[in-house]
Amino acid sequence: MRASIKTYLIGILLIGISALLTSCGNKVNLNKLTSELLPVDGNPLVSFRVLVKVGSANDPSGKEGLCQLAWNMLANGGSRTMTIKDITEKFYPMAASVSLIMDKEMAVFSGTIHKDNLEKYYAIFKDMLLDPGFREEDFNRLKTNQLNFVEKTLVNNMDEQFGKEILNLMLYEGHPYGHHEAGTGESVKGLTLDDVKTFYKQHFVQGNIVIGLAGGYPADFPAKIAADFAKLPESFTPRLSLPPAHMPQGLEFVIADKPTPASAISMGFPVSLTKADKDFFALWIAGSHFGEHRQKVSLLFQKIREERGQNYGDYAYIEHFVQGRDKFPAPNHAREQQYFSIWIRPLANSNRHFVIRQALRELKKFVDEGISEERFQLVRTYLLNYTKLYAQTLGERLGWKMDSHYYGRQDFLAEAQSVLLKLTREDVNRAIKKYLNFDNVCVAVITQDADTLKNDLVANTPSPIKYANPNMPKNVLDEDVVIQEFPLDVKAEKVRIALAAEFFQKAGLPAK
Amino acid sequence: MPKFIALALSAVLLLAIPLESQKTKVFPFEYKIEELENGLKVVTIPLNNPNIISFYTIVRSGSRNEIEPGKSGFAHFFEHMMFKGTKEVPSAAYDEFLTQLGAGTNGFTTDDFTCYFVVFAGRDNLEKVVKIEADRFINLYYTEDMIRTEAPVIEGEYYSSVSNPDRRLSELLRGTAFEKHSYKHTTLGYLKDIQDMPNQYEYSLLYKNRFYAPDNTILLVAGDFDHAQLMTLVKKYYSGWKKSGYALQTPVEPPQVLPKRAHYDWPTKTLARLAIGFHGPAYSDEVIDKAALNLLAEVSFSPSSPLYQRLVNEEQKCASLGANFSDNRDPHLLVFNAVVKNDDDLAYVESEVLKELERIKNEPASASKLADIKSNIKYSMADALGTTDGVAGTLARYLELAADPGTVNKLFDLYERITPQDIQDMAKKYFKPANSTVVTLTGGKAK
Repeated sequence: MRASIKTYLIGILLIGISALLTSCGNKVNLNKLTSELLPVDGNPLVSFRVLVKVGSANDPSGKEGLCQLAWNMLANGGSRTMTIKDITEKFYPMAASVSLIMDKEMAVFSGTIHKDNLEKYYAIFKDMLLDPGFREEDFNRLKTNQLNFVEKTLVNNMDEQFGKEILNLMLYEGHPYGHHEAGTGESVKGLTLDDVKTFYKQHFVQGNIVIGLAGGYPADFPAKIAADFAKLPESFTPRLSLPPAHMPQGLEFVIADKPTPASAISMGFPVSLTKADKDFFALWIAGSHFGEHRQKVSLLFQKIREERGQNYGDYAYIEHFVQGRDKFPAPNHAREQQYFSIWIRPLANSNRHFVIRQALRELKKFVDEGISEERFQLVRTYLLNYTKLYAQTLGERLGWKMDSHYYGRQDFLAEAQSVLLKLTREDVNRAIKKYLNFDNVCVAVITQDADTLKNDLVANTPSPIKYANPNMPKNVLDEDVVIQEFPLDVKAEKVRIALAAEFFQKAGLPAK
Repeated sequence: MPKFIALALSAVLLLAIPLESQKTKVFPFEYKIEELENGLKVVTIPLNNPNIISFYTIVRSGSRNEIEPGKSGFAHFFEHMMFKGTKEVPSAAYDEFLTQLGAGTNGFTTDDFTCYFVVFAGRDNLEKVVKIEADRFINLYYTEDMIRTEAPVIEGEYYSSVSNPDRRLSELLRGTAFEKHSYKHTTLGYLKDIQDMPNQYEYSLLYKNRFYAPDNTILLVAGDFDHAQLMTLVKKYYSGWKKSGYALQTPVEPPQVLPKRAHYDWPTKTLARLAIGFHGPAYSDEVIDKAALNLLAEVSFSPSSPLYQRLVNEEQKCASLGANFSDNRDPHLLVFNAVVKNDDDLAYVESEVLKELERIKNEPASASKLADIKSNIKYSMADALGTTDGVAGTLARYLELAADPGTVNKLFDLYERITPQDIQDMAKKYFKPANSTVVTLTGGKAK
């Protein structure tokens, strides 16, 4: 069934009203709820997305991980009238669930339900968020899971993510962003159920909440939800005043040492722009050219994987990136401060030094030379088309709308369609020069025999590599001769090493 | 501004799937199946979702096809080689085309099949996609040097999950449970075989001729297009593809006659893992065995089951618990998995899982529980079918198994007919100690 003209008009009207409410920020009562509505007449599904403008950056000092545990008690701890067992049994025939997405400045409770079950689902969903059970046994279960994650899983079972999280520590040590959402081993052990209740009371308040609703819901449904959530206290959590992130001075390395046949590498530095800035679109083209996530258009992918077969993939990002459906960016990880990063997927330890050199050399070339006109045209066209696939589900559409408003925009994806077309290669190259650099970079490495890597880096030891293919193209081999001796200015005092198991057990970096 | 809003709205599917009626089909969409003279099957599902088209190529090439020693992981490796282009459209030109198109594109390999997809906006692009996809499947061209460069990428892919104990557990379970069948190894393959892939140019040509052929392939197209126009294009571009005629004979797995057990010491700290596998039946939408076992898995091991609630939420012995009975062309394993918080509780959790399997042999599932499960399956399917790519992605694995989207509704009709007694009978038939393989993994003790 195609959407009728009526549906489109109603949709346009409601989108307009919603945008108007959001854009008049100074007239909106900060203590009150806001909402994001996307009615789609005839759609059999209804998507909920309740965004709370409080994330792990709001964790009190020494209680890192509290926000995640508190919100997880809502999503997975049961309500006052129903245990998690009761809820699971009720949700099961509806194939329903409530998911929690955590980030530094926000969290989202989401769920999609067939409209057959809308009333039944909402009655439970509402109580989970507005009347949580806060039972001791659920607290113990979820706290133990969180502790196991930081003590065992993160540092032992997922090296790619481990590397990214070490980079986060390097960029934000001592900063509200500077801990994992799950906290540290030490901090999680100290969390109490009273901490959770206090955090909920303080932060789960009207002004922090955006109610997102999309799909084929009845016309009077939003008012019903608004009335229910309006029972929360009228209050809000002031936005954090964030200190600057750590700008590395030269090349700074942190190496996590563990027994492993492969090295995982992440590197980056803070950037002084977000989607709120007009330069974002120009730098977006640059980032896509240099390292679009899991796409062949990525220059790093071409140079490291396709030409040399070093690993499974190599990418770069101009802001914090979390993969959502398929390989598209997941919405609702919006942040006031962003960072540029390069992700080198695990590769044989024997080639780690070469690839660190190669990635930094490519970064230097990228910053020095910018993007060619041919690549500019190609990547811009790519983004114009690829981004049409970003928001296909109801939940994704809501998420992108919420992020748009976070950054003071009406509809980021729609805006991109016009702004990208107006950009020139010069705009992109200007943005590269303004925001990116290759001299001051934090590099996180997970590998074994860290001391050898440190010595190789500091001494600029040549790092030739071998190929299975005896007939590698001459241009590749010629370039390898340059890469394997590409000088990196690595000072011994800027290379910190610690055992992998020591990370995330206490606040900050273990390596000194 | 209206242009922007129209664009945004166009991304939303309006796939009405009313499920109030018990007679509503779980897979509700109209579809057509045609077969070209060369054996290529084409399944089309036009959807009322403006702008988006999902173009899937499903090749019956998976780890099941890796029947010769030393060739584990080859189906997956060949998936990589399929992106190397042709003489007319080399890989750089192919990549540039997809980049211009802004398509979501990739491939993935399973035990039974390899799937290639191009998801793109704009029906005007359909002919270009059909043409370039047909070209690469018919005229794939690569040199031995190209294979030698690509092969180490597979080793890199292996390394990308080398720190994940679940992969090691899966390798151990398959390797222990299977004796003959090629399901013995994972899709990635053994590391020693991966490291030998640079030397497999000749075998790759043999592999291509055997399996990358129209009589071993299904095209699945879902979204905003006209069936007749699509078929005209498919006939124009795919008719020159030559049949293979190769008949794969997978090794027959002998019946297991004794219980098996294996353990792996993970080098660092980790939560303990338990997997218990029983040899089970292949997929069928006619014989009740697999369908009845699927229902059993939900009765006894879904999050709403008493055992899950007890071990995960009440006693809190497990971080997770579940059953994984994958649908396969040949008999595969019925697997029960648990992540256990303390190593000392592994034996207890194993014992509780086995006790539950004994209980289900003797106690019939309640009618209300079966009704809940059928409801869950229907609504899960409705959610999965909420986007164009959801329709194509969901259907791909069923098409590989049965070559007809109708198999989805046949399977759900089968579910409707299964009785509690059927479930008990299947539990008795398959969950015998002699048919079991138990594998465990604990951390921190390896030298």
